Amino acid sequence: MQKILLAERPGWRERAAELGFTFADMGGEPYWDETSAYRFTLSQIENDIEDPATELHGMCREAVAHAVASEEWLTRLDIPRAHWDFIERAWANGEPELYGRFDLAYDGSGPAKLLEYNADTPTSLYESASFQWLWLEESRDAGVLGADTDQFNRIHEALAERWAAICAPGEDVHFAADKDNPEDYATVEALAWAAREAGLGAHFTALAGIGLTDDGQLADEHDRVIGTLFKLYPWEDMLRDEFAPNLQPSQTRFIEPPWKAVLSNKGLLPLLWHLFPDHPNLLPAFFQADLDAARRGDTTAFADAIAAAEPLLARGHVVKPIFSREGAGVVMVEDGRETARAPDDSYSHHPQIVQALAPLPEFDGFHPVLGAWIVGEDCVGLGLREDRARITHNLSRFKPHFIEG
Amino acid sequence: MTATSDLAGTTPPRRKRSRHVALMLAGAAVLTLAACEDDKVDAQAFPDLDSCLAAAQTDGLWFSADDCRTQFAAAAQEHLETAPRYESRELCEQEHGVGACGADPAAGEAGAQQGGGFSFMPLLMGYMMGSMLARGGGVFSQPMVRTPGGYSTPSGNQSFASNAGTGKVPSATFNRAPSTIGKPPMSQAQVAQRGGFGASATSRTGGARSSGG
Repeated sequence: MQKILLAERPGWRERAAELGFTFADMGGEPYWDETSAYRFTLSQIENDIEDPATELHGMCREAVAHAVASEEWLTRLDIPRAHWDFIERAWANGEPELYGRFDLAYDGSGPAKLLEYNADTPTSLYESASFQWLWLEESRDAGVLGADTDQFNRIHEALAERWAAICAPGEDVHFAADKDNPEDYATVEALAWAAREAGLGAHFTALAGIGLTDDGQLADEHDRVIGTLFKLYPWEDMLRDEFAPNLQPSQTRFIEPPWKAVLSNKGLLPLLWHLFPDHPNLLPAFFQADLDAARRGDTTAFADAIAAAEPLLARGHVVKPIFSREGAGVVMVEDGRETARAPDDSYSHHPQIVQALAPLPEFDGFHPVLGAWIVGEDCVGLGLREDRARITHNLSRFKPHFIEG
Repeated sequence: MTATSDLAGTTPPRRKRSRHVALMLAGAAVLTLAACEDDKVDAQAFPDLDSCLAAAQTDGLWFSADDCRTQFAAAAQEHLETAPRYESRELCEQEHGVGACGADPAAGEAGAQQGGGFSFMPLLMGYMMGSMLARGGGVFSQPMVRTPGGYSTPSGNQSFASNAGTGKVPSATFNRAPSTIGKPPMSQAQVAQRGGFGASATSRTGGARSSGG
């Protein structure tokens, strides 16, 4: 894994504008940055990212099976009790997942470490699946990259295949998102193109435009009944809206399915460590409340694991709210001192988890986080974001990658 | 809309990337998901029949005075059949603006059959005609009603700043709205059920934040 300085494609900004990639620059800062790119070997991609991420997703499925059958874990994950049955039924019925993104810390050697799983509403899909792909093709054509370079990016094709596998031919799928957020809309549109390619009908509906029919079904702004709904809106919010009691009776098929509430929750990290202790791709993680109890000397099911992890936690750990997006609410502590804190604490009123610190590597003053894309149950692609700060946030820049060697 | 990579010659044995992707983002301005630019059609809006007839004489490139008459009649009929119906004038005005509503002219017969009472609907404020000539169709129209911020077709899926003017609109603008005639009018509760999502956010700041991560 190296960071390589490369010539930018002449006119890429105009190309981005023409394609509708309007957020290539955000807040005056470049978001898409191709002045350099990350190079990986095929072995790094396959052995250190692809296979471990696919395995991690399998472990997450086991974690869901465990949680939906456990009142204790559903409580710890702060999933509203009124919807436990909804979530358990969705899992028991085998409702299929579409996509997700693992955020991994990796420096080119040793096991990649799972920082968190954006399993419900991951964004940056368009730039990962499409614009990054275009960059590789055009950079190869221009001779900036060699003819034997490749990219870990089967995301678009895998999405089209997944849609075809989980929907009936010609099935109508509604896509709901905040239409005023270009980043969210781009992610939804990338998914919708893949659905159309799979022969499905794809319709956009604004989140706020969804209503109920007299029969309790969901309907879009045109009063068309919504049979299958992809929603770029987190389950933790869906289940807390006033609208929440209408969800299960509506018989709508939701994508992501309701059981993603277990995964799109940083309480997943202590659950994974509990089920798969010492797994090479996991970091020790605990609920803050369990740590506090263990440190008071209380006997809990987690006391031994906490005692074993204390030296590592003392060296460095991060504290994260169980619900948060884009780094919000993260606090980093090293050797007993707070060394970084996300400026946005708008989620910090939620229960917290504590995770051992996997310091991000530094390349030219920037810290990359790997986004390993899962489609269905397999890892199919990679997108990187990097930041000068040690906590990646929503303005961190996207970096293309290529495979060589 | 899609792009395909050059497959000739250099394809490595274990290819890790897609052979093609979708590159185009149509953007949030297009409410019909991923409607292409070429899905747009010429359209012109008129507050009444007379303004259409006048335009047909001066700058009617794709419509005639006959089109004005036929389509005005069609729009008026479609307004009667598909405009949203509300159980009170107050509720109708809440959705369409003060003074923009009237009693349902069809409520007498249809309402009696349903055992229902009064019904109110937004007034017909003009019509929009669209040319499907380029795609082998003819001239189509939709009635226009008021919204608090402007005008829209009865389905509400397309909104416009004015009921007069020329432009290009998605062809779906001319899709017929679901029929409302003879159906029970909407109650406050039914209207309020719109916008169910997005009210609560686990972030305290809420608002303009992305839902993604």
